[in-house]
Amino acid sequence: MEQEMFNQRTDLTQLSAAVAEIRQSLGKVIIGQQDTIDLLIAGLLADGHLLLEGVPGVAKTLSAKLMARCISATFSRIQFTPDLMPSDVVGTAVFSPKTAEFQFRQGPIFGNIILVDEINRAPAKTQSALFEAMEERQITVDGETYHLHEPFMVLATQNPIEQEGTYRLPEAQLDRFLFKIEVKYPSLEEEIAILNRQHQLKTADQLNEIQPVLSVEQIKSLRSIIKSLFVEEKLLAYAAQIVHETRNHKSLYLGASPRASLALVNGAKAIAAMAGRDFITPDDIVKVAAPVLAHRIMLSPEKEMEGITTADIVAQIIKKIEVPR
Amino acid sequence: MTIQKNIEMRIALFLILFSFGLWPTMGTAAQDKAPKVRPKPVLRQDSSQVQVRKFEEDDIVAYRSQKEFIYDDVAPARPDLWERFWRWFWDTVGSLFKHSSIGTWGKFLVIGLVVAIIAFIVIKIVGVDLKVLMGKSKKVTVPYQESLENIHEIDFDEQLEMALGQHNYRLAVRLLYLKTLKKLSDHSAIHWQPEKTNQAYVRELQDQPYRDEFARLTQQFEYIWYGEFAIDQTAFEPINSSFLTFNQKMI
Repeated sequence: MEQEMFNQRTDLTQLSAAVAEIRQSLGKVIIGQQDTIDLLIAGLLADGHLLLEGVPGVAKTLSAKLMARCISATFSRIQFTPDLMPSDVVGTAVFSPKTAEFQFRQGPIFGNIILVDEINRAPAKTQSALFEAMEERQITVDGETYHLHEPFMVLATQNPIEQEGTYRLPEAQLDRFLFKIEVKYPSLEEEIAILNRQHQLKTADQLNEIQPVLSVEQIKSLRSIIKSLFVEEKLLAYAAQIVHETRNHKSLYLGASPRASLALVNGAKAIAAMAGRDFITPDDIVKVAAPVLAHRIMLSPEKEMEGITTADIVAQIIKKIEVPR
Repeated sequence: MTIQKNIEMRIALFLILFSFGLWPTMGTAAQDKAPKVRPKPVLRQDSSQVQVRKFEEDDIVAYRSQKEFIYDDVAPARPDLWERFWRWFWDTVGSLFKHSSIGTWGKFLVIGLVVAIIAFIVIKIVGVDLKVLMGKSKKVTVPYQESLENIHEIDFDEQLEMALGQHNYRLAVRLLYLKTLKKLSDHSAIHWQPEKTNQAYVRELQDQPYRDEFARLTQQFEYIWYGEFAIDQTAFEPINSSFLTFNQKMI
């Protein structure tokens, strides 16, 4: 009786099946990291770009490659290096002797899923080439604007800033990532399971096992479902209040932008849909708050020296805001 | 024999050194005794022809017209009202300090008061939020009602009666859920805090036998309250009875 009453207003059958298949595919190769996998899927559904951060060797690039493999779409990989130029990313005009004209040769950014590996090893000049692409889904070269293909998703990996040879990403770029997913070390049991699986099968073989789960059209359809999910007005205010608090917090010198509020709600919608609901709850907002906000806010220098992280501050903010119920 | 020879050699060395040391003095003394000859002054005459130059009258007139060469003092402009006010202000402040009865601490107190007043006026004009300076975040007014959030102050029976009287079953489910949270809090099964989410309370009941039942009630509440699922009297009855059954278990 109750179940009948709560029958979904939105048909989430296709979405639930797709999520289950992606989870299963990624689970074949990646051991543990359940939160990382869930956020990767949520980011895909919420039409956002994702930044995976972790120390070397925790399967950041592998996770991103696997995610890309689950989708039957154009995949490009750009290895960011200190000498990479913007034209290496967006493309450049080359002279054609046959036509005696300059022709634009598209760079690797012209794809559906773009894996930007070690994104923070390139300087700010190169990073800025991604700004227009990530936000406006277009590229302007020599006064000509080229629209990128839909879906367009940047999956970037980076080492923490403390690691050798890394640059801090510009704030404007960090703001363009929906989630920063922190990939942590596996537990002891997970590590043993990794060793067991790895000595039997090579990573390349494991990658070949993964078959595409979603087509480009299916992704577009799922994204439109996510956009149509219901959000109670009080929860919009709750999300806005969390973001607003980052602008007044004494430990922060840079708060989150309105783009962060939108990201918070969109991320929460994706999490709700993955849980089989067509509406969001405060828990969905809380679940995505750190991945959405932690990379968008900046600590004051003294707090940074004390060893406090932005995720700690987000947790503090959530703890002091009343949950609407 | 050897000692004798040594003594002789020492005497000879002394005499040599003595004579060398004495010689420059003897020379100077000899010079002092010689008569001093002063050179006779010679007057030299400049026989070159002197050319007399005169100022050009036009040049002088031209220089006079240039402002760099006009040295006339310009009378200072009379102080305006604003300057006179500040002059009066500082004279008054200065006269206060002339009184010896005020003392050094009194001077500091007056200066401190003046600085504080000026700072207060500036802060008010600029509109700086003093709470930010003191490290406290600004209170944000949220556009939703929170008056019912303190579950320990709500008269649930009265509120429920009102909601049902208005056929507001959505609000009735909300009140039932808040009443359940209060019961759990009264029995120390959960630690009530308005900042905690519903799932946080479910997790707190991890080891309790009624955890699953509470999780189901939470789901019902969330679908109706956050999901805004339409609910009529027929749908409300089973939900109401499940809440009542759960609450009776807590007594």
